[in-house]
Amino acid sequence: MSNYAELIVQGLKQAKVEIVASLPESMLKQLYPMLRKHFRYIQVSNEADLPGIVAGAYFGGKRAVIVMENSGLRQAAEPIARLTFGHRIPMVLLMPHRGDLGEDVWWGHGHSETMVPMLDALRIRYWFVYRLDEIVPSIEKALLHADAGQVAVALIFGGECREVPKHA
Amino acid sequence: MHRIDVVRALAELVTPEDLFVCAHGGLRNDWWNSRPGGVDNTCFLTGMNTVSATALGLAVALPHRRVTALETDGSVLMSASTLCTLGNERPPNLSIVVFDNTVYESIGGLPTATSGRTDLAKMAEGAGCSNCFTVTDLDTFARHAKKVLTDGEFGFIVAKTAKAAAHRWPKDKQKHTDGVEEKYRFLRYVEQLEKIRIHHVVEIGG
Repeated sequence: MSNYAELIVQGLKQAKVEIVASLPESMLKQLYPMLRKHFRYIQVSNEADLPGIVAGAYFGGKRAVIVMENSGLRQAAEPIARLTFGHRIPMVLLMPHRGDLGEDVWWGHGHSETMVPMLDALRIRYWFVYRLDEIVPSIEKALLHADAGQVAVALIFGGECREVPKHA
Repeated sequence: MHRIDVVRALAELVTPEDLFVCAHGGLRNDWWNSRPGGVDNTCFLTGMNTVSATALGLAVALPHRRVTALETDGSVLMSASTLCTLGNERPPNLSIVVFDNTVYESIGGLPTATSGRTDLAKMAEGAGCSNCFTVTDLDTFARHAKKVLTDGEFGFIVAKTAKAAAHRWPKDKQKHTDGVEEKYRFLRYVEQLEKIRIHHVVEIGG
């Protein structure tokens, strides 16, 4: 069985994603070098840049996704709100679940505690992906769901679908 | 230099087949009335911090298409980190034109940071952007705009415009679309222009 990073790349390719906009972090650390290799990869310095980039790519007819830490929702909240509430522009966000059960770093707990209230407040539809065999089909469905409903969709990778915390 | 004159000078240099992303504020009515062909070639956004990022995504998605972001000082200041992304990507088909009137016009003219020590062209240059210019008169604007639109390189022009000099548009000339209608109009225009399907609508039995 492939690892989570290989399966995310496989899922993105099968879903015909061409552009990935990202701010890398540690819980999907095996993924980022592969994204650079396989996709038109746009790296930002602040998650607030990401929603606009994928919105622009959508208008250009290219499938694009955001990959960032779940704490990035807090930085990206205003652009997401403007683009989705103001214009109903669809977007797909892929995030690891930093702060999930067994989190070993103290500062990561707040990432999880704020994540669901932020997703709800921003009216982002979200699903948790915890098993490796769920990764590939979830990505295609997320892109389909976002376009059909003209909404933002988040996939939150936990369990075996991201790096395992050292002491878990 | 009045903003409406700069907008009209820009409109003379572009075509209906170019694509634009336009910032919030008084600029919207100026461009709505000046955009080439009067067609839906412009993505009007409400977010002050989403304009250049959206133009970047569009330019990367359509590398053969000329894309111009119509920015404001307030919007660029709110999304300063985007300058670093632009500076490292520099899509050759993307130009950024910042209409810098140094004030928050729609709230009565309180100063932005560019009325103090902040220089947007220097910020862009320091972030890695190429062809960064500040212009203060129409002839210089037209010369630099023509260059960045035709040289096949990324460009960033800051047009310093007069404060408290917004053009007053009569009601029937003001933009009358909301954000959702604007999205669909722009999306369908790009579909027609590029001969592609962006938004797939599925009906039962279809």
